[in-house]
Amino acid sequence: MNLSKVFTKAIISSPERQLEADADLAVVKQVQAGDVAAFDQLIVKYRERVFGVVYNLTANREDASDLTQDAFIKAFQSINRFQGSCSFFTWLYRIAVNTTLSHLRKNRLRSFFSLEKLQEDGVNTQVLEQLTDKKGADRDTYLQELKEKLNEAMQKLSIPHRTVITLFEIDGLSHSEIAEVMGCSEGTVRSRLHYAKQFLQGELGKYLRS
Amino acid sequence: MPELNQRPKVTVEDLLHLKRAERPDVEFWTKFERELRQKQLTALMEKRPWWQELPRFLTRRAYLPVGASAVLAFTLVSVKYYAPAPLAQVELSPTAVPVAPGRDLPAPVAPVSSPLVNRSESAVAQSEDDSAASSAQTASQAPDEAVELMPLLVAPRAAEKPSARLLAANLSRMEPVDADFSSRLSTPAREQITAAAEELASIPTNTTRRNRLLARYEGRQLNPEPAPPEVVRQRLARRLGDIESDRGSRLAREIDTFSTPMPQIVALRF
Repeated sequence: MNLSKVFTKAIISSPERQLEADADLAVVKQVQAGDVAAFDQLIVKYRERVFGVVYNLTANREDASDLTQDAFIKAFQSINRFQGSCSFFTWLYRIAVNTTLSHLRKNRLRSFFSLEKLQEDGVNTQVLEQLTDKKGADRDTYLQELKEKLNEAMQKLSIPHRTVITLFEIDGLSHSEIAEVMGCSEGTVRSRLHYAKQFLQGELGKYLRS
Repeated sequence: MPELNQRPKVTVEDLLHLKRAERPDVEFWTKFERELRQKQLTALMEKRPWWQELPRFLTRRAYLPVGASAVLAFTLVSVKYYAPAPLAQVELSPTAVPVAPGRDLPAPVAPVSSPLVNRSESAVAQSEDDSAASSAQTASQAPDEAVELMPLLVAPRAAEKPSARLLAANLSRMEPVDADFSSRLSTPAREQITAAAEELASIPTNTTRRNRLLARYEGRQLNPEPAPPEVVRQRLARRLGDIESDRGSRLAREIDTFSTPMPQIVALRF
């Protein structure tokens, strides 16, 4: 699947996103007019989201950092070509995904996972408690192992399935928004999502029966 | 304390939601910004290849002059290659100008010793006499004088053969009508004409065929003038009569065929 076309359509189905798109367009106009410093606003605003998408596709922190920086640099270099036909974040998404896909094609055999530090203050502690009864260091070790298994399982998915599950479960987009972004029907999104969940359930089943 | 088997199950979705919490710390973003700045400065310093500059060049509204230049270049190339070439000015060489004896060509002529002249000289030397030699000498004269090729070739024969004489006369008559005719008349064509003149001379006297051949080279109509209507009608009537007589004789033959005894034929069939 050509993911370069995946994120071409704007995710502007909700009013919040429309407001976000309008605000981004105003900043882009400033940058195109010559106010280069205005581009930093866009970097600060979107770096975490772009990093999250790239990290979930690569499962490697260092690669995700480099690829996110490359995506922003490419966006800055071609900012004059942005005409506003889609939202800025969609356009930035496309650059980031294309950069990541090129990297993945070149490094197909490489599978090194570097996991992010899990910030427990933002995590559902109830879920963590349900995952294991272990306490202290054993719990941390168990959680670390679980994260590795999850990343391994996600890397076994194909890129379209991985993209769908990332956008839905991690980024929180709706089925219609994902369909608009990926250029497919909602039925396709649902079927891919269902298959991806079934696959991950099979891969991680024993870890979920604790 | 709830029992283990009564604990709600953790689903894949729950695990995936945990990934939302996976975010780098502040130090990571500090390092990220520093590296991004370095990469931005490096990108500004490095020289981009010319093919990467093309999209930027085109977005600067340069497409209009570029397009106009492309259209202009295409027009010039197409005119150059597809326009009809001007008629090449044929050099008015002594060999190229057939002129009647005694006539002066208006255009200046370059001195040439062409194969045709040589051939004519050799042809003349084979068959003829002083008039040819003097004409050959005339052919090698100054540029302003036109060398009379056709007379050179024809004049010796003209004295002998009436057909060739007639051909030469017609050519000289055509010259004032079409001043460029002689210049356009190519050497091979002239050779053909001379060969035809020789052929005519060799043909035994046969007025009808001879006239036809002459007409071919003189440009006269081959077909005789249209006959008056009465003559045409007589011819048609004669022809129709012939057709009918043929048909009648054929019919008579068929009748004779069928007048043979039928029983024999029937017996043969059955």
